[in-house]
Amino acid sequence: MERERIIPMGTTAVMERTGETMEEMYVNMGPQHPSTHGVLRLLLKLDGEYITDCIPYIGYLHRCHEKIGENRNYTQVIPYTDRLDYLASMAMNFGYVLTIERLLGVKVPERAEYMRVILAELQRIASHLIWLGTFGLDLGNFTIFMYCFREREMVLDLFESVSGQRLNYNFYRIGGMPMDFPDTWVGECRAFLDWFEPRLPEYDAILTDNILFQKRVQGIGVLAPALAVDYGLSGPMIRACGIRWDLRRNDPYSIYDRFEFEVPVFDTCDVWARYMVRRREMAESARIVRQALAQLPAGDIMAKMPKNIKPPAGQIYCRTESPRGELGFYVVSDGSVKPYRYKVRSPAYVNLSALPEMLKGCLVADLVAVLGSVDIVLGEVDR
Amino acid sequence: MTPEALLEQLKQTFGDAVTESEVKGVEVRLTVRSEASWEVCRFLRDGGFEYLNCVSGVDWMSHLEVVYDLSSLRHPNKVHLRVPVDRANPVIRTVTDLWRGANWHERECYDLFGVRFEGHPDLRRILLPEDWVGFPLRKDYTDERMVPYTDYGMEEKLVRAEAEKGAPRAVRPAAPRAPAAPPPAQEP
Amino acid sequence: MTTFASLVERFYALTANWGLPWIVPTLVVMTIVAAVILGYIAVACMFLVWWERKISAHIQVRFGPMRVGGWHGWAQSIADGVKLLLKEDVIPAGADKVVFVLAPMVVFAASVAAYVAIPWAPGLIVRDLNIGILYMISISSLVVVGIIMAGWSSNNKYSVLGAMRSAAQAVSYEVPLVLSLLGPVMLAGTMRMGKLVEAQSGVWFGLLPKWFVFPQIVAFLVYFTCSLAECNRLPFDIPEAESELVAGFHVEYSGMRFAIFFLAEYANMFVVAAIATTLFLGGWKGPWVALPGLPAEVAHGLFGLFWFLVKCYFLIFVMMWLRWTLARLRVDQLMDFAWKVLLPIAFANLILTGLVLVLGKQVLLYVLGVALLLLIAVALTARGVRQGSAHVAGKAVRAQKA
Repeated sequence: MERERIIPMGTTAVMERTGETMEEMYVNMGPQHPSTHGVLRLLLKLDGEYITDCIPYIGYLHRCHEKIGENRNYTQVIPYTDRLDYLASMAMNFGYVLTIERLLGVKVPERAEYMRVILAELQRIASHLIWLGTFGLDLGNFTIFMYCFREREMVLDLFESVSGQRLNYNFYRIGGMPMDFPDTWVGECRAFLDWFEPRLPEYDAILTDNILFQKRVQGIGVLAPALAVDYGLSGPMIRACGIRWDLRRNDPYSIYDRFEFEVPVFDTCDVWARYMVRRREMAESARIVRQALAQLPAGDIMAKMPKNIKPPAGQIYCRTESPRGELGFYVVSDGSVKPYRYKVRSPAYVNLSALPEMLKGCLVADLVAVLGSVDIVLGEVDR
Repeated sequence: MTPEALLEQLKQTFGDAVTESEVKGVEVRLTVRSEASWEVCRFLRDGGFEYLNCVSGVDWMSHLEVVYDLSSLRHPNKVHLRVPVDRANPVIRTVTDLWRGANWHERECYDLFGVRFEGHPDLRRILLPEDWVGFPLRKDYTDERMVPYTDYGMEEKLVRAEAEKGAPRAVRPAAPRAPAAPPPAQEP
Repeated sequence: MTTFASLVERFYALTANWGLPWIVPTLVVMTIVAAVILGYIAVACMFLVWWERKISAHIQVRFGPMRVGGWHGWAQSIADGVKLLLKEDVIPAGADKVVFVLAPMVVFAASVAAYVAIPWAPGLIVRDLNIGILYMISISSLVVVGIIMAGWSSNNKYSVLGAMRSAAQAVSYEVPLVLSLLGPVMLAGTMRMGKLVEAQSGVWFGLLPKWFVFPQIVAFLVYFTCSLAECNRLPFDIPEAESELVAGFHVEYSGMRFAIFFLAEYANMFVVAAIATTLFLGGWKGPWVALPGLPAEVAHGLFGLFWFLVKCYFLIFVMMWLRWTLARLRVDQLMDFAWKVLLPIAFANLILTGLVLVLGKQVLLYVLGVALLLLIAVALTARGVRQGSAHVAGKAVRAQKA
């Protein structure tokens, strides 16, 4: 077989084809690359090691989640939401279920609300742990990765004993929860928190207090607060720009208005700020779980629901605070058993769109840190 | 400002352009003619709605609809803005010059619904491959790999169960079973 | 005293008696030496790979390899080596084939050549060159040539970036590295490896061994930092930064060629540890006792070898420890660190050593005094400036108020 002759690099022929010049070169980062956290492709224009331009290409994991949702009934959509942000499935379930309940006007029993909050906050801890570990990995620190996974494993064990699953739980139902906590679960959860909270200073010792780490993350990937709002960033990304904006506080849903917790804010707007915000959020989530466990009431876990869920015709946009930011579900109902239109506003999708803005004047090594600080999950970006 | 006052102000400023409107809690829901959509958006942005949550599309078969969800970081009011556009020639003015975040939302809407945003700096497909044909979220889009909804006779069963309990109810015929999807064409 | 050199001389004399041409005994000696060194490198590298995996595992609260071979997976490296040998050897289309094939050889040859001048034990050194340390430094910096060859010939942009980073890093870190080594060389007054070790015999205060690490602690730290960069180890592993450049210069290599790069990296680690041991940690010096049934010289040699290896492997352990604790530096920070921090320190150390050697130890007092005076002067000026500016600022505020 005659193979096409391949032109060696650096020749004028390649330059003509790609528009490269002697000063600038194009590099495709991804779809297969250890630091793009999935199948993200970034087309980088490099001047030496400096990035002059960055174009993200997404959609490698696209499965038209919204079209699938329009062809399933309301309950059948829940397992699909698991696959959106597969590192925070509980939060995805929560957002979707809440949307449909608001559309139906259903009141969820107290105990179910508490269970939801406990699981969602544990999920936030697990999700931030994965983020912290992979962020350390991006910066060359392998050890923090294993430490974080050790703790995440414990959260997964807790989830497994509740739902039987370790990654895609499919555990929230429209109108409540399908199963109660196992008998010993509350004690196990307390034991986990007792173990977890002293681990946070350990992470500090290995990353936060490390001068090499600080040098790598301070002052890079800066995004001005006004731009962050303009781009519609949410979650830790906007809180790292000094804007105190947390939907659990500012647009309280479920029973979040009953708990005392801080919304950590940092105003240096750089990767360091995003790191610190997430690092503190883990402690705050643990605090919420503790309060919820203390207040956990007895009682029903499922509201009276019809067998066939048919919300009245109408539409709703409902937002919740997922670990990555504002998770919005926009559902249009025509009164039938399946949604007429079902749309997901995924936080990482919007946060990622500001990446080229943050990368101005960065080095290739910074790109890894900045991308890590955005905390994308491609399942949710590509949907 | 209360949502009612905001709606009143909008109606005064734009007059006929606001075709339908409703206040639901803190949310103002309104439908606006597509010619005036950009002006309304600018009015709202300057009036404090600096945060664009989402731009989505809906296919109503008779027309397409672009939906903007706006909110503010300073007050609890929200705006749910719906703009109908022609289905055969869906064109609407972009809002990327008002909110930068609209860029990817509008690209997604173009990708999945085929709504063309005039003045968008980079209107390309974003989630689907560049050579994809058709707009998948339109209701008339078909693909042989798509699995349509089937309730496996669930509805019928429920109705019968209720009838046995003695609560008569109008029987709605179950959705017709979808024909089995043809096997994917074998690669030669 | 029996040394390796004297043994070789005796062998040459013997063969001359048999009437063989000179080339034959030379070749025999060279082959034996090469075989022993290569054998040592292969075994030691396998051990180091396994050791590193175990160390990293225990730092990271896990076990590491546990299956192959039984006890703590000791045969894991052997299995990996066999796997790499059997793998397909891929040369990418569009690669510069000759350079691509040559690159791992250059890297490996450069690392191996440095073993010639390592003083393993009293008298056990392949060739005690009179410029031993200079030879080791210069030959082991040839590694970077191989790395650039690999990066360029792979026809891959990540490789090129890795090679460029490697070149910049090697050039920058060679300078403070050589300067830091000059301290011990000045103290010993020789570049011969054997003499350098001999110069560190004896004890201070009847307790502290007279190793150069004590008077030259600054030089030792500078050298150790630079040597991490020389071996491309974390926090200086930017030429192969996994999360940025995938694998940097060797991203296109597979099978045995990749294994050779790997081998060369660990061989190089041992070389820099051996240099540090020889120049700073007293080489093979250490307590020894006569063993029954063995000549004293042999026993001394065995103990020397033992101490030398212990010191080397301790340093390698520290390198691994650092690798699994620290995060990676960025390329511009790396350069800044070499030129703005390490180089001035190395120069200052060099000048101070020279002054002490020429003028005697009392110069230290003068230097300390001058440093103290300078410090006070700087502190006073800073305070004065601050007060002055506060004064000016106060004036401006007062003027504004008025």
